[in-house]
Amino acid sequence: MEKNLLVEEIKDKTERMRRDAIEMGFSAGSEGAHFGPALSCMDMVATLFFGVMNYDPDNPEMPERDRFVLSKGHACLAYYAALIEAGYIPREMIPQFKGNNSILCGHPSKNVQYGIEVSSGSLGNGFPVACGMAKAAKFKGEAHQVYCIVGDGECNEGIIWEAALNAAKNKLDNLIVLVDINNFQLSGTTSEVMPINLDALWRAAGWEVLHIEDGNNVEEVLQILNEVKESDIEKPHVILTKTVKGKGISYMENNLKFHATSINEEQYRQAIADLDKAEAERKEQ
Amino acid sequence: MTNISLETLKEWSKLGHRNSFGESIIHLAREREDVVVVNADITTTARLVNFKNEFPDRIFNVGIAEQNLIGFSAGLAREGLMPFAVTVAAFVPMRCAEQMRMMLGYMNLNGRVVGIESGCRFGPLGNTHFAMDDIAVTRTIPNFTVISPSDPHQIYKTVFAVAEHQGPVHIRLTGAPGFPLLYPDDFDFEIGKAIEYRPGKDVAIITTGSVLSEGIRAAEILEKKGISTRVIDMHTLKPLDLNMLDSVFAENSLVVTVEEHSIIGGLGSAVASYKAGFANSPKQVMCSLGDSFKKIGNYAFHMKNAGLVAEDIAEKVLQNVD
Repeated sequence: MEKNLLVEEIKDKTERMRRDAIEMGFSAGSEGAHFGPALSCMDMVATLFFGVMNYDPDNPEMPERDRFVLSKGHACLAYYAALIEAGYIPREMIPQFKGNNSILCGHPSKNVQYGIEVSSGSLGNGFPVACGMAKAAKFKGEAHQVYCIVGDGECNEGIIWEAALNAAKNKLDNLIVLVDINNFQLSGTTSEVMPINLDALWRAAGWEVLHIEDGNNVEEVLQILNEVKESDIEKPHVILTKTVKGKGISYMENNLKFHATSINEEQYRQAIADLDKAEAERKEQ
Repeated sequence: MTNISLETLKEWSKLGHRNSFGESIIHLAREREDVVVVNADITTTARLVNFKNEFPDRIFNVGIAEQNLIGFSAGLAREGLMPFAVTVAAFVPMRCAEQMRMMLGYMNLNGRVVGIESGCRFGPLGNTHFAMDDIAVTRTIPNFTVISPSDPHQIYKTVFAVAEHQGPVHIRLTGAPGFPLLYPDDFDFEIGKAIEYRPGKDVAIITTGSVLSEGIRAAEILEKKGISTRVIDMHTLKPLDLNMLDSVFAENSLVVTVEEHSIIGGLGSAVASYKAGFANSPKQVMCSLGDSFKKIGNYAFHMKNAGLVAEDIAEKVLQNVD
């Protein structure tokens, strides 16, 4: 089968992003990092940055750029890794993750120069800002899109639904939200902690609801994002995206222990070995 | 900014702070295309209907959802618009304090948050609808500027001044319909620069918000008793005008702070914490809403009970003056 060049390019970048994320998290030492929630959304972040969005690292406030808001800000390793790969953040800054006076904070802190659009990490609070940004684009007659990644656990927050209703009322069809459904939140599975029928709720809120069955499959993510970009439905769009928490690192997958923790030398080496193996397998195909 | 006629100001005084703001923002929106109004189902109550009629595409009602009122406004501000987010002061900042902190303060965005009917003006509606703590909340948010205008003319001046200001602003509106017009003539208004409303050598009464009118009356009562009383309009609670306070501490022998707010975290606290750095500063007396939930009663009842009417302020001064 002929390989899709764009998809392969995104996969190359995603592999480097996972490595950079592990490097960042490991370099934080005992401070640790939110590995699991970053790895689950790594492929969708990569697909957005390298297959979908329009932006220019040399002109970070370019008016026509697409906007990206990581509402589940604790997954910042994925965001920073994308910004490194895109050329906003120099790769040399990796050891500064969570360091004193670093711009690579444990939750994104708005920094235009380095491509960080919005401060986020207080759960629920990035999404309404993304809604306001989409409304502003409509108000000013600008054609760009606003992309936002929300966590499944984050959908517990009341403000998500305040903002969702208002976005539908305002027909923000320039707003595309991906819900990262990795099935875990801090104290258990999402179904244990707070069972929510996300499909029914988003639909009831007035959104167009789409699904991605494998959110760690770049090809599928890219296909749905391209479809939704062309959608002429005058509603905001939400893509319920099933992912694997900790995706790509054997001992982290579906393991809540690695939601947020530090890793030791041995775990670091194992993570790199897992990534080496996956890369070798992909190149063989 | 065009001057407002005395006739209009008198009308605004009669109608109250809601109309004063609702009309002022129309004047601003005529001059600035980036100004939009966001409100939490308060279009009629906050007297924003005239704005809506003139600028139907520039007013957004987010429904009864104060957290999103701020979140949505932050997104608009991030894109270069200047949202004035308006709702009842009982719910802003308290219902959406975190959004004000994280979205407006932390990102230092040009959101303007307006709380109408602050203090205990809602009288018989009860404590659910009082805002006795709003200054305390927003003063602690870095980057926030906090302003409590004292009369219709100052509300107008505030609206135009904040439009030129960088960073988030909380505007706290107090006073009932009929709140006095204290600045009938044109006057200079600068954020962070208190106004010496009248000079006085002995006592300094420092007020914020519409209760300035009681401070002025108290000064008149005291003057008749031979006590020279200075009145300071501290419209901006953050940043405080420290130069003005330096002058008060140097020149006056008693400082009286007057505010329609909790005794904790408001004007009195702010003045006291600055005064703490002075070895030989004058004694301070605090007139406030104290630290208690209130029983039911009308606005005048609450102001009287709290000792925030001129006669009580004057009496308190007499008890404390040497």
